[in-house]
Amino acid sequence: MLERMQQVFRTVFEDQRLVITPETSAKDIKMWDSLTHLELITAVETEFNLKFSFSEVMGFNNAGDMLRLIEKIMGK
Amino acid sequence: MVFNSVLFLLFLLILIPVNYFLPKRFRVTLLVLSSAAFIGYYNVESLVAVLVFSAFNFYIAKRISGNRALYIAGVLINAYAIIMFNYFHATRNGFDFSYTAISFNLQSFIIALGLSYYSLQNIAYLTEVYYKRLQPQTNLEHYVLYASFFPKVISGPVLLPGEFFPQISTNTITKEKLVSGFNRFLFGLFKKMVIADRLSPAVHSIFDFNDAYHGLTTLAGAYLFTIQLYFDFSGYTDMALGVAKMLGYDLKENFNLPLRSTSVSEFWRRWHISLIGWFTAYIYYPVVYRLRSYKKAAALIGILLTFLISGIWHGIGLTFLTWALCHAIYLGYELLTKRSRITLSEKINKQFYKIISVFIVFNAVCFSNIFFRAASFSKAMQLIKNLFTDFLPSGYLKDVLAPLAVGGHQLDEFNFYSTIVMLVLFLGLERRLNRIATSEKINVIFVTACVLLIFVFGIFNNGERFIYMQF
Repeated sequence: MLERMQQVFRTVFEDQRLVITPETSAKDIKMWDSLTHLELITAVETEFNLKFSFSEVMGFNNAGDMLRLIEKIMGK
Repeated sequence: MVFNSVLFLLFLLILIPVNYFLPKRFRVTLLVLSSAAFIGYYNVESLVAVLVFSAFNFYIAKRISGNRALYIAGVLINAYAIIMFNYFHATRNGFDFSYTAISFNLQSFIIALGLSYYSLQNIAYLTEVYYKRLQPQTNLEHYVLYASFFPKVISGPVLLPGEFFPQISTNTITKEKLVSGFNRFLFGLFKKMVIADRLSPAVHSIFDFNDAYHGLTTLAGAYLFTIQLYFDFSGYTDMALGVAKMLGYDLKENFNLPLRSTSVSEFWRRWHISLIGWFTAYIYYPVVYRLRSYKKAAALIGILLTFLISGIWHGIGLTFLTWALCHAIYLGYELLTKRSRITLSEKINKQFYKIISVFIVFNAVCFSNIFFRAASFSKAMQLIKNLFTDFLPSGYLKDVLAPLAVGGHQLDEFNFYSTIVMLVLFLGLERRLNRIATSEKINVIFVTACVLLIFVFGIFNNGERFIYMQF
């Protein structure tokens, strides 16, 4: 799952060298800011075929938060 | 009662010790009464407006959770108040309402209802309660304090409910807080009285006279306005944060070395942070979330809408609209070119890239601020025309120094140069000075220098009102 997410990050942030860990946050990726945050969310939603609510989107602080929620939604 | 007035200092000299020695359970009441006195000092209409609107928001919030119609009505009423505030402010087209023996200026009342910062906090509160992220307040006094706490009621910082309410119950005042608040207040007073107000005549000379100045002179005026605005508003914020700290409250930081930003998006993370935070949370993200399937177009629409609303919030008119459009264009450009700029920054010398970026961003911000400061759109266009006509003057003393120093006398020139020297030194040492100003220890050299510089160089009689008080 982390690998799939890493590919999404690489596509959205236009950098094939990106390596993602659960701790990766906006501080680690120059391209990740409020202007690109929702583009990332949309790409993650498309990749995993799910929808996040607004408050869930606002609660993400790092890649791990996203992964945990995806696992929770897909596990239902 | 402006922050740099003798009356305000007297007000603090009484309030801070009384609040410190008062049992904790009486402090909220004291601060509500003090805030009421502070607002009522402007005019009684403002006080009535703030009390009526606080009660209005407090009571509708109790029924608003999940009630969409009531939520929309509440937000619209608060937003309408902001628009009326700006409209009346722009046109000064008021009317008096006299009934029997009571004379009540209806315009002042409406203006005060829309006190922009105050209304933003009301909207934030209603939104948080509507979306069930916050329980409605049960104590009216606490709500009135959140909405009208005097250090932040006129020009922010904008505090979200979750940032303020918990502080009411945990309020503690230590000696360290008193010292740190005092340092911060003094620092703000220095920024306002010694730098911002001393730059004011030079800016006034370039922006408000109809002379066809040379490009270089106009450019200097445009640079100085942005610097004046920074010192004026960040000085105000330092004073607000300092006073609040001495009363046991931590307000949000509003500035973080913004003139060193290497992109306009970074600038907006460092300048007027609390306001842009409000706009991001309550306008930008909700809009982009809804439109997110359009990818980059969604962010572009979000940026445009956020800045258009921010422009209207600052004032109604073509000048603020153009200012907002400038920033929407800057941010749109940055969004679309972000990857190529990062790639470029990795290829060339980092320090060189940084210096060039800071220079470009500063110029872009100064350009937009021509519209922000100019009295009318035609005046702004005239300044831009001046900027690109006869850039180099024929005589430095006559064409550059005299307009900026507002006079050709040696004393005027000395005053102008001394301001420039102080501001350059300040900007160079800013990070270190900020550390001292937020320290919990008294630094004798810092306090002595601030006091001496304020008394020697400060503007006491003809100082400008804080620029952001008009918004």
